[in-house]
Amino acid sequence: MSHDHHHAPVASRYDLAPERSDIGLIRPDRFTGWRDWLTTVDHKKIGVLYGAFAMFFFLVGGVEALGIRTQLSRPDNDFITARMYNQLFTMHGTTMIFLGVMPLSAAFFNFLVPLQIGARDVAFPRLNAFSLWTFVFGAFVLNASWLFEFAHLSGWLKSFGWYNALVYTDFAPANGWFSYAPLSGTFGQADAALRAPRFTGVGTDFWIIGIQILGIASLAASFNFICTILNMRAKGMTMMRLPVFTWMTLVTSFLIILAFPAITVALIQLMFDRQFGANFFNPSAGGQPVLWQHLFWIFGHPEVYILVLPAMGIVSEVLPTFSGKSLFGYPIIVFSGAVIGFLGFAVWSHHMFTTGLGPVPTAAFSLLTMAIAVPTGVKIFNWLGTIWGGRVRFTPPMVLSLGFIWMFMCGGFSGIMHSSAPADSQQQDSYFVIAHFHYVLLGGVLLGLMSGLYFWFPKIFGRMPKASVAYWASGLVILGFNLAFGPMHYLGLAGQPRRTHTYHAGFGWETWNYVATIGAFILGIGVFIAFANLVWTAFRGEKCSSDPWDGRTLEWSLPSPVPEYNFARSPVIACRDAFFAHKHGAHRLVYEQDGGEAGVHMPSQSWMPLLASCGFLLAGLGMPMSAMGVPHAGWVVIAGLGVLFLGIWLWALEGPGGYMLKTPVAPAPAPAEAAASR
Amino acid sequence: MSHSAAHAHEAPTSTGIDHKKLIMWLFLASDCMFFGTLISTHLLYRKLYPTGFTDAEGHQQFVQKLFDIELTSFSTFILLMSSFLMALAVSAMHKGGQLKSFRRNVLGVIVFGLIFLGCQVYEFTHFYHQGLTVQNSVFGSTFYVLTGTHGTHVAIGVLWLVLLYFYSFTGKLGGHVGALDVEVAGLYWHFVDIVWIIIFTAVYLVEYLGPDGIWGNGLPPVPGVTR
Ligand code: HEM
Ligand SMILES: [Cu+2]
Repeated sequence: MSHDHHHAPVASRYDLAPERSDIGLIRPDRFTGWRDWLTTVDHKKIGVLYGAFAMFFFLVGGVEALGIRTQLSRPDNDFITARMYNQLFTMHGTTMIFLGVMPLSAAFFNFLVPLQIGARDVAFPRLNAFSLWTFVFGAFVLNASWLFEFAHLSGWLKSFGWYNALVYTDFAPANGWFSYAPLSGTFGQADAALRAPRFTGVGTDFWIIGIQILGIASLAASFNFICTILNMRAKGMTMMRLPVFTWMTLVTSFLIILAFPAITVALIQLMFDRQFGANFFNPSAGGQPVLWQHLFWIFGHPEVYILVLPAMGIVSEVLPTFSGKSLFGYPIIVFSGAVIGFLGFAVWSHHMFTTGLGPVPTAAFSLLTMAIAVPTGVKIFNWLGTIWGGRVRFTPPMVLSLGFIWMFMCGGFSGIMHSSAPADSQQQDSYFVIAHFHYVLLGGVLLGLMSGLYFWFPKIFGRMPKASVAYWASGLVILGFNLAFGPMHYLGLAGQPRRTHTYHAGFGWETWNYVATIGAFILGIGVFIAFANLVWTAFRGEKCSSDPWDGRTLEWSLPSPVPEYNFARSPVIACRDAFFAHKHGAHRLVYEQDGGEAGVHMPSQSWMPLLASCGFLLAGLGMPMSAMGVPHAGWVVIAGLGVLFLGIWLWALEGPGGYMLKTPVAPAPAPAEAAASR
Repeated sequence: MSHSAAHAHEAPTSTGIDHKKLIMWLFLASDCMFFGTLISTHLLYRKLYPTGFTDAEGHQQFVQKLFDIELTSFSTFILLMSSFLMALAVSAMHKGGQLKSFRRNVLGVIVFGLIFLGCQVYEFTHFYHQGLTVQNSVFGSTFYVLTGTHGTHVAIGVLWLVLLYFYSFTGKLGGHVGALDVEVAGLYWHFVDIVWIIIFTAVYLVEYLGPDGIWGNGLPPVPGVTR
């Protein structure tokens, strides 16, 4: 065994002799620059890439949102067409959820989880790279629909035969982020070419395959994180000593692996309807469109907790740090998170009250929805208990976390309002629902994630974002956000429907729509400044110490930026908030006798995850293109599946590799002390 | 600390379960939900439309008449036996890497898996000629997609085992890691087998409970006549 590890430990991977993998290719361990980023298996770099892509897509989704708000700023507006409006809200929702929030959460999972549990990497470093690139290509496939749409609008496609044969020319998805059947599906009988008549064009096909690929990325990442958290904890890091952020990562990952299969299947069924004339949701052949709704929301409600739990984890780290107290009721917070995850699977039909479920299911789902507010409320009280009596420091991350609590609570209150089915039948499909889920998603999740960015940025880059800019940005975000979404509660109750591209004057909606649009632009400027401040900091910001906030968890015990091996020696944990206790409390951190001249094991970099993900890129682009009738596009799909297989096969054959990296270690702690900690 | 003991894959894990085995269990948990969704779709539609489907000539066809329960029982039996061989292959690896025995058993699994797939291909073409297509009924859609997805799982398993089989000739399949790799493939195989047992029960056998199956056939009962 371990045939290829007999090299001497090296001080840097650039000192490695060129090493061939089991398939004879040189391992890309010594790259610098862009090839290093493409082949990296370092969870910290992967985290940074996730974060960079997520912030980019936040801005894309933001521009789409401003397009929507501009159109709605005054009655009977014709800033954009109705069709473009539909495409904008669909891509806005899809982008924010799948390309903004989820990957930004994944960025934190990647960067933090191994550091917080005292590990040197994730359980499967190459699988981690595969998740990243699969996400990137899935995002590209989804947005490639815009490229086709623009080509179509510019008239560049007119010379193509397949283009002129198209029945529908909507290239960007326009079904809403939940793509309800039958609009997204088919009707009537399939013809000889296995094509049933459809209501929409290939935009829907881009959406189907894009979400499918993104789902694979999320699933692979979640398997990896659960394994990492359960299996790679440092000595003494028991489950009830895990930082709350890591706990929420664990719960979120379980939600992903159990909820995503429902949407995977639903997407397969919808794809079969559209491409092969199946009848899952085809009403004229007996298919039940309401089945799509059930399958979507069995995924969809857990999904909203997938979005919010990581932000709750972040807030649970930020509040104790800046209150100078440990988290109030740690076990209760952890338990509430798990209960939310569990109950999250039992409330999906509250999205479907108006479909007419019948009195018993309606009552049951209504009650369960009210019940899920209990653990959520418990968390809020625990956070308040954490701040209570603390010496609060109003740093930018703290301000954003407090914003999270405040805004999220408002969203929770409107959530409770539509847990009552009769009330919901008035609110559903109105701007009231838009207000609700933006308070939880934007006021809640985005503020939480921004708080995390400002909190951990000094750790990631060793540079401190400018606080003055951060305060201004946070102020603009919170102000703009409330101006934009506060009035929507009123607009919704006053009857303004969601997903409608314009409205006539005279319903009393004009003023508040105008205010909302102004608020949206203030919000957009605020988010842009907040992100620009971060990007500037990453390159130019002022250098700072490795523990600028007086942090509590293990990542703050490491130098900033964190070296590639993370821990020069593995820590041994004796209590919760081990690093804080080390600095101020009874338990000093002790370390195992590993690392040093003997080195620590580092995984080898690899091209194979990227290669395998490229298969998804080809297959993902080929599928909608063959639905468009582009000649030979079917072969692109087959080539994509071939590349995927090739990538995985070579990945298996090349062997994990790895090398020993020397770590600089301080003089070892006295053996007696180390032994006592075992 | 010796050199090899520092390697990530050999370091003791917090739970004592190997990473690879744990991740496979997690994948299988996820796959449970996947098949659960497919099977529920099928059963919901069976309950909603008990009458089977209408073929190309417009004749009403009954599911019980369509199925060839002897053939499907045979292929189910074959798949069960393949799991038995898989268990032998795993245990051969655990007993210190008895590669010969491993290869013999795994070859058996592959052949049995192929027989199962062959039966499925035969069944699909047979049903197709009876008039059942993906397009002509909800039953056709749910049946083909459910059993076809399971078939794809079997095919991936066969491919995996074929690759392991050839890999065993390179001399690199051995020791703890080799046994683990085979065991993980075995977990997958057993799971796919168990799923089939559930599909066989929920999709095939229940159609034979009582004269008209558990769903009835939607027609008024005629005394003394079984359809
Ligand atoms: C106190 C907790 C919550 C309760 C009681 C609650 C309740 C509800 C209900 C009943 C609906 C359906 C409204 C309708 O369509 O008529 C809904 C919609 C929605 N909720 Fe929540 N919710 C809560 C928290 C959250 C959280 C934490 C998130 C995400 C982070 C979230 C995101 C959404 C989204 C995206 C929708 C809109 C779905 C759509 O497009 O129709 N909710 N909520
Ligand atoms: Cu919900």
